[in-house]
Amino acid sequence: MDAQTSQAALTTDGPAIHIEGLVKDYGAVHAVRGINLDVRRGEVFGFLGPNGAGKTTTIRCLLDLLRPTAGRLEVLGLDARQDSLALRSQVAYMPGELRLPERMTGAGLVAAIGRLRGGLDTRRRDSLAERLDLDLSRRLRELSSGNRRKVALLLAFVADAELLVLDEPTNGLDPLMQREFLALVREAKEQGRTIFLSSHVLSEVQRAADRVAVLRGGALIVVGGVDELRRRARQRIEVWFDGPAPTEELAALPELVNQHTEDHRFTALLAGSIEPLLAVLVQQHVVSLLVEEPDLEEAFLDLYEAAS
Amino acid sequence: MRGRWAELIGGPFRASWRAGLGWSIALVVLIVSTVAFWPAFRGASGITQAIDQMPAPLLDAFGLQGFGTPAGYLRGGLYELLIPLVFAAAAVLFANSATAGEEDAGRLELFVSQPVSRVAFFAGRSVAVFAWLAVLTLVALASQLASDQIFGVPIDAGPVIATVVLCGLLGAFVAGVCLTVAGLVARPQLVQSVGFSVAYLSYLILALFPLSSLLAPWRQIAPWGWALGGDPLVNGAEIWRYLLLGGPAVLLAVVGALAFERRDIRSA
Repeated sequence: MDAQTSQAALTTDGPAIHIEGLVKDYGAVHAVRGINLDVRRGEVFGFLGPNGAGKTTTIRCLLDLLRPTAGRLEVLGLDARQDSLALRSQVAYMPGELRLPERMTGAGLVAAIGRLRGGLDTRRRDSLAERLDLDLSRRLRELSSGNRRKVALLLAFVADAELLVLDEPTNGLDPLMQREFLALVREAKEQGRTIFLSSHVLSEVQRAADRVAVLRGGALIVVGGVDELRRRARQRIEVWFDGPAPTEELAALPELVNQHTEDHRFTALLAGSIEPLLAVLVQQHVVSLLVEEPDLEEAFLDLYEAAS
Repeated sequence: MRGRWAELIGGPFRASWRAGLGWSIALVVLIVSTVAFWPAFRGASGITQAIDQMPAPLLDAFGLQGFGTPAGYLRGGLYELLIPLVFAAAAVLFANSATAGEEDAGRLELFVSQPVSRVAFFAGRSVAVFAWLAVLTLVALASQLASDQIFGVPIDAGPVIATVVLCGLLGAFVAGVCLTVAGLVARPQLVQSVGFSVAYLSYLILALFPLSSLLAPWRQIAPWGWALGGDPLVNGAEIWRYLLLGGPAVLLAVVGALAFERRDIRSA
């Protein structure tokens, strides 16, 4: 099927990505165990999980590089298997494990990919190269891993694609370039493009993503907004009392876990409403109360502990 | 669309230019240096007489019949083993590096994720492999014809052309086998083992099976024999020999492309 004619089948409504019951086994190894996921159009979606969680396997199934053992995948309303050719014309992909043809120059690789995609916006290429501080005339084998990553980033962002699938995009990038990457993501989002961002760098996802999914052992643990995820995580509580801490009353509160008392200081993690704690504290002479908002990393680790 | 195909074929073709240059130089050196000794052999009747006194089965096995004649000299020195072997080895390495080798190194993923079908992608690489074998055939042919002129080997161009083209087609057949294996699995060692085994066994069957009355009829199964079994330097070649090598070569590449379309792509 010709990519251009197939584009007629692209839909403009519905989710950008729809995954239903995705299973991928490698013999006895279950890499992905029944994932269900919808990614909305125009959002930046973070796909989180440690190495081996199944992020890359899921992504490679989406791009029809891997054939699922079971399940249904739709990208931009197209079946990932049947319509893979039309789908790939609307998807720009940056692999996580980046192996580029070493003897080519950056410019040669960009031109080759441009020919395979049926065209290339050279002005955009030059602008991106400048923003990423990238010398495209050098051979890829002469580039550092960070600079190779920049070439791959350029290839992803130069494509006129509706969906960008970026697997661990900032691995090896310096902080300045990470900031530039986030700016590129924001711009792509403003243009109405969808960005599917796989990462284990939580701070990056926290800054870029509207929603996240957390994966562990090939299964989804949670899907939600970054703020929602934070809210679901346990907050760290630290209370300083004028006298000894009321350990018995505090121990009776099921919302407080990992309780630790040291003279006048009490620490715990709050997993639930803060009201019962406040009811206890108003009876006491409290010197100070600290409730720390968890960042995504803590939320992430929390979810992992809960899942395991 | 033309740009896409130009890249699908031209990309892997350009990527192999060093290997192509290396094989070309090897062929030129091998052919020119062998033919350069023809004037010495032509005059040394002692050597040719000594060779002619070897047992007939051995002469057949090593292609040394009529070593004192121009066709016999070229057969024994080049076309019985060395040139077909160079073509077979080049075919294995070209096919492997364009497909399974690149995939195993994780370098195909970026290209396969572009809007091109897997069949087109694999077909482009197969065409690039066959194109390099065609280039090597032309290089060998030009070297042979020029050397024959320079060093005064009195042999007609027709049988020489037939022999060199059949060597190229033998390489294409071996490449086809490798492309099938690479389409089925991304295991470069397996691709190389199968490719070299097919070439080696094929030569052994042609050379040694005639020594046994039991095995002699089976020599027909060897692609090496399809190419050179009819002594094309003396007799020229029948059309079926070209078809029997070229047809399956293309068919095997198609099988490889279809298999490649149906399986997982290996990542780094």
